[in-house]
Amino acid sequence: MIESVVQLRGITKTYRIGREITVNALRGVDLDIHPAEFVAIMGPSGSGKSTLMNVLGCLDVADGGTYVLAGEDVGKLSDNQLAGIRNKHVGFVFQTYNLLSRLNAIENVELPLVYGGDRHARRERALAALEQVGLGDRIHHRPSELSGGQQQRVAIARALLNDPSMILADEPTGNLDSRSSAEILSIFQRLNDLGKTVIMVTHEPDVAAHTKRIVRMRDGIIAHDDLVARPRRAEDEIAMGIGAAE
Amino acid sequence: MKLYDSFRSALQSLVVNKLRSALTMLGVIIGVAAVIAMVSVGNGASQSVQNTILNLGSNLVTVSPSFGNDNGLKGAGAQAQNLTLDDMRSIQDQLGASIAAAEAEQQAGRWQITAVGQNTNTSVTGVTEDYPIVRDWGLDSGAFFSTSDLNVNAQVAVLGATTATNLFGDVDPVGQTIQLRQAFGGGGQGGAAQRARILNFRVVGVLGVKGSTFGFIRDDQILVPLTTAEHVLTGRLNQVSQIVIKATSSDTMDVTTSDVSNILLQRHNIADPASADFTVTNQNDTLAALSSVTGTFTLLLGAIGGISLLVGGIGIMNIMLVSVNERTREIGIRKAVGARRGDILNQFLIEAIALTGLGGVIGILLGWAITLVVHQIPQAASIPLLITSGTVIIAVGVSVAIGVVFGLYPAMRAARLHPIQALRYE
Repeated sequence: MIESVVQLRGITKTYRIGREITVNALRGVDLDIHPAEFVAIMGPSGSGKSTLMNVLGCLDVADGGTYVLAGEDVGKLSDNQLAGIRNKHVGFVFQTYNLLSRLNAIENVELPLVYGGDRHARRERALAALEQVGLGDRIHHRPSELSGGQQQRVAIARALLNDPSMILADEPTGNLDSRSSAEILSIFQRLNDLGKTVIMVTHEPDVAAHTKRIVRMRDGIIAHDDLVARPRRAEDEIAMGIGAAE
Repeated sequence: MKLYDSFRSALQSLVVNKLRSALTMLGVIIGVAAVIAMVSVGNGASQSVQNTILNLGSNLVTVSPSFGNDNGLKGAGAQAQNLTLDDMRSIQDQLGASIAAAEAEQQAGRWQITAVGQNTNTSVTGVTEDYPIVRDWGLDSGAFFSTSDLNVNAQVAVLGATTATNLFGDVDPVGQTIQLRQAFGGGGQGGAAQRARILNFRVVGVLGVKGSTFGFIRDDQILVPLTTAEHVLTGRLNQVSQIVIKATSSDTMDVTTSDVSNILLQRHNIADPASADFTVTNQNDTLAALSSVTGTFTLLLGAIGGISLLVGGIGIMNIMLVSVNERTREIGIRKAVGARRGDILNQFLIEAIALTGLGGVIGILLGWAITLVVHQIPQAASIPLLITSGTVIIAVGVSVAIGVVFGLYPAMRAARLHPIQALRYE
C-alpha cells in the first residue's frame, strides 16, 4: 500500500464565537489522500470545508483526532514547527492570490526559500518555477502589472518552489474569468500528471469536474467521497475555445 | 530567514513609504542632533573653564593666610597676615628638587604710573624671582628680576604687556624709568591738602601676552620684587598674600600639598592641622570642583536632548504599529509560506532599527552642523566645541537602542498574529 500524503482520523474542531455560541466546524473527519491524487473538496458555506482546508494546510490545529502529513504527526507541534511544516510540505494557492505587492514576480516566488530550504540557486529555481507556469517573460513585473490569471500563476509558481508534498488551493479560480480559470486548471492538471498531489477547495461543480476525486462536506463531516469517472481536461477546453466553468 | 533578507526587506519597505519614513526619522534626527549639539557645547564650556584655570599656571599648590585659631576663637574680623617670605624660602629649601618652583606674592594696591608723559592706573604686585616659572609666563623682552634685586629691595619693575603699551606705545620699555605715585593724607575735598609719594622704578622686562582670566585682564599689571613692595610700597613687612608652589607634575600635587602643609605647621608651631592659620589649595581640587559643575551642566543639556530622543522613539513605535496593522495580510502570507515568529519579529525590529539608526547618523551630521553654527556666534567663539567619539558612539547606540525598545512591541504584535486571521484581514 502506498503511504498517504494526508491521513486524517477523527478530526474535530470547535470554534467559539463570542461567549455563548460554539460552532462545531469539524465533527470527526477521516480522510486519506495519496500521492498524485487531485482532490476537490466541496460543500456549501458552513459545511466546514474552509476549516478542513486550514487544518490540512497546518494554518490551524485540530482540537481532536490525529493528522499525519507526509509521515509526520502534526497534531502536537508548536507554532514555529508548524511554520516549518508549511514551508516544506504545503504549497498554498489562494482565491485572492495573496502576492506581496511590493515585490516583483520572481521575488514573490522566491519567498518560501527565504524562510527555509535550500537557499542556493534561489533565483534559478524561482525562474524555473515561473517558466513552468508560462511566465518566464514577466519575472520583473509587480502584481499590479499582471492580470488576475497571471497573478494566480505567480502564486502557483510560489507554491511549487519548495517542492511541497501537496498543493493546497482555496477557490483558486474564484476571482478569474472562464478562460483564465481553464488555464489555471490546466496547470494543476499538468502538475498532477507529473505526480504532484493537488487538493482544491471549490464550490463550483464545473471546476471540481476537472479533478479525479470529489470529497463533499456537510455539517462538519464528509458526506460523500467519490472518484470522478472521466475528469474533464482543461487543455482540450482551451483548444476548443470554451472556458472551464461554462 | 537570513539577516541579509531581513535588511533588504526592511529597507524596501522604508523606501516604499519615503515620506512617512522621513517624518518618522525626523524625531530621532532632532533628538540625536540635540544630544550631540548640547553635549558638545557643554564639553566645550567645561574645556574652556579648565583652560582658564590652567592659564594661571599648571600644577599649582597655593597657600593663603587664614584666620588663626586661638583656643577655639577665630581671629576677630581681619584676615590674619602670617605668611612670610621666609616661609616660602623654607619650602624651597626643604622640598628642593621635589617641586618645580615656588614664589610668594604681596598685593601692593593700585598706583598711578607715569612715564614719558603717558600715565595709567594699574595694580602693583610684589613677587619673587621664580614667578615666570611658576606661572608658565615668559618675558617678551628684558629679563625678570633676580634674587639679588630682592636682597637689596631694588626699585625695578616688570610690566604687563598691556601696561607697557599704555605707557610706552611701540617703544621698548626696558631700561626706561617709570614713576609710581600714590596720593595719601588729606581729604578728598581740598585737593591742595593731598600729598603724593613719587617713586622711581627702572623697567627691566615686559611679560608676554597672557589674556584674561575670569574677566581680570592679567596683562595690565606691574610686578616688583616682593621685598621692595614690602619695604618701599606698602610697609607691611612679612605679610605675604599668597605663596604659590608649582609641583613637578599633576601626580605629585597631593604629596606636595601635604609636604607644604607640614612645613608650615612646623614653622608656625601648630600641632593640630585643624587650627592651621593658613589654607593650602590644590589646583586639582579646584579643577575637580569646577569640572563637576560643568559635568552637571553637560548632563543637564544632554538630558534635554535625551527627552527629544524619547519623543522620537514614541513616534517610531506609533508608526511601526500603523505599519504592522497595514501589513497584516503580508504577515499572514509570510507565515503561510513558512515564516516563523522570529522571522516576522526580526523583520519589523530591523525596520525600526534601520529607521532609528539612519536617523541617528543623520542626526549626528545635523548636530555637528549645529555646533559649527553655534561656533559662529561671537559669544561662543572662545568655547572649543568638542564632538568626542564617545558622544557619537553613545548617540548612535542610544538611537539603535530606541529602535529596539520602541520597535519591539509592534514587532511582537506582528509576530503573534495568527496566520488565518492575518490572511483574512482586509
